[in-house]
Amino acid sequence: MDREQDITASGDFLSLLKERGHLPQAPPVRPAGEAEGFATTEGTTILALRFRDGVLVAGDRRATMGNTVVYDRADKVLSIDDCSVMALSGSPANAYEIARMLEISFQHYRRSQLQEMSLDGKLRTLSRLVRENLPMAMQGIGAVVPIYATYEAARTDGDDAPEGGGEGKIYFYDILGAQFESVDFCTTGSGSPIIRGALYYLDRWGSRPLAEMAQEESLELILKMLETAAEYDTATGGFKPVSRIFPQVMSITASGISIVPETDLELLYQAHLPGAMQAS
Amino acid sequence: MLDEPYRWVEAIRNRREYLADQLKSASPVVGCAYENGLLLFTTTPGQRKLFEIYNQVAFAAIGHPADIEKLRKAIIDVAHVEAFNFSARDVTLQRLVNFGLGPLMKTAFDEIFRSPYIARVLVAELDPLESRETFYTIDADGSFGNSAGAAVLGGTAESADAALARQRKEADADSAGGAPADLPLDQALQRAMESWAVGRLTAEAEEEAEEIDADRIKACIQELGEGGQRVEAAVLDRSLPTKTKFRLLSAEELEVVTGAR
Repeated sequence: MDREQDITASGDFLSLLKERGHLPQAPPVRPAGEAEGFATTEGTTILALRFRDGVLVAGDRRATMGNTVVYDRADKVLSIDDCSVMALSGSPANAYEIARMLEISFQHYRRSQLQEMSLDGKLRTLSRLVRENLPMAMQGIGAVVPIYATYEAARTDGDDAPEGGGEGKIYFYDILGAQFESVDFCTTGSGSPIIRGALYYLDRWGSRPLAEMAQEESLELILKMLETAAEYDTATGGFKPVSRIFPQVMSITASGISIVPETDLELLYQAHLPGAMQAS
Repeated sequence: MLDEPYRWVEAIRNRREYLADQLKSASPVVGCAYENGLLLFTTTPGQRKLFEIYNQVAFAAIGHPADIEKLRKAIIDVAHVEAFNFSARDVTLQRLVNFGLGPLMKTAFDEIFRSPYIARVLVAELDPLESRETFYTIDADGSFGNSAGAAVLGGTAESADAALARQRKEADADSAGGAPADLPLDQALQRAMESWAVGRLTAEAEEEAEEIDADRIKACIQELGEGGQRVEAAVLDRSLPTKTKFRLLSAEELEVVTGAR
C-alpha cells in the first residue's frame, strides 16, 4: 500500500474507487444505432407519490429484453440508507451498480467524516453517478433514470423549515444527470407516459390532492396506476395472482423506511381491484 | 548511515524507545464480550478514541491523534472498497488487519528517515449471528495478534498484560461457578472499568512489586472523569435492528455505572 494514499482526508468514495482503478472504464461513445441487434435488459414503471405522512415509492417487477420477458421478480425499489429509497428505470445492470455505489458512498462518508452526508450532498453524488453512465446511455445500451425519494427531518434552523415535523421529498434525474425536484408525484420508465396524465388529473381535480391522502388510499391509487400501465405497456408487469407476483412498495416516513408487506397488498387488491385477482 | 548493518539495528532500537516513550502515558482501552456482543471502554482528554469502521467492525487506538486519524481513514477506505468489490460479508477483520493495517504500520515503522505511526490499534469484530467476538491488537511496529473474548491496549506491555489478566481471572471465576460468560451490559462495564483501573495503576506503579489491591482499584475508578478526562464507551450490539451494529454509549448510560458526575 502506498503510504501517501491514506493521507488524503476525503470522504469521496467515487474518487477513491477511481484512484485505485476499481471503476470500470466506460466504452468510447459511438453514434446511437450502432449497437443495434444488441438487446439489453430494461423496462419498467416506477412511481413515487407524496402522501400525508411521507412518500410511497413503488415499482412493477418485470425486466424485459426487446420482446422477451427476462425476469418477473426484479427489485426496482432499493433502500439506500435509513431514510432514502432509490427506484430504477432503465438498464438494471447499470442501475444496480449505481445503487450499490451510492449506498457505500453514504456509509463511507458517514464513517470517515463522522457526520451524515447532507441531502444536497447525496443528491449531487447520485447526479455524478448518472453522469458517469452517460457514454453507455448515449449508445442506447444502458440508460439509467432514477427516482430518489427521502424524508427530510424537521430542521430547527432557518425560516423555511416545515412546521410540525419533516416532509417527504421526491427527486428525479434525466440521463445526463440533471436533478429535478417533484412536488407531489413522479413516474418514470416505459409505462410512465400512460399514467402521468392520470396522476395529474387526480391530483388537480380528484376528491383531494395526492399529498393529503392517507397511506391506504395512496396505496390503492398506486396499485391501480400500475395495473393501468401494465395494460398498455408490455414492458410493465401487472399483478399475477397465479404466481403471486406483487409490485414492490416502500413507504418513507418520519420513523424510517418500511416495506409494505405483500399480505397488505393482497387485501387491497381484493378490496379495490377484484378484477385483477380473478384474471389468470 | 544505513550502509552499516549495525547502524540500522541501532536506528530501529532508537525508534522503539521513542515510540515506547510517546505511548507510555496513554489511557488503556479495554475490550470485552458481553451478552449482546462486545464492549470497548476507555478515557480520553477530549478527542474521540472509539470509532465505527464497518457494520460489524469497531476501531480504537492510543497515540498521536493525527496518526490515529490516518490509520482510521486507511482502514475505512479498505473496508468500503472491499465491500463494493465483493460483499459486506467479505469485510472481515482478518483481511483488514493482515493485508491492510499490519503491513501499513510495518512499512511506516521500517522507513527510518520518516516518522512511524505513533499509535497502537485495537480492532474488534462481531459475528452478526453467532456469539463470537474477535479482537486484534496492532503495535506501532506493525506486529499484530488476535484474541477471542477480550483484549487490552495499554501504554506499556506490562499494563496491558495486567489488565487482560484481571479480565481473564474474572471470566474464569464465572465459568468455575457454572455461570455463563455472557454478562449484561452494566456488569460488563463494571468489569471493563476495573480492568482499565488495573492497567492504569500498573502503568503508574514505579516499582513493579507495588501491589494493586481492591481498594486502590476502587479509588482509581472513583477518580474517573476527573482531571479533564472523559469516559468513553462503545458497543457492537448484535441486537440492533440496523445493518450497523456500532453504538457509542450515551453519557446517561455511563453515569449509571461510573457514578453521577
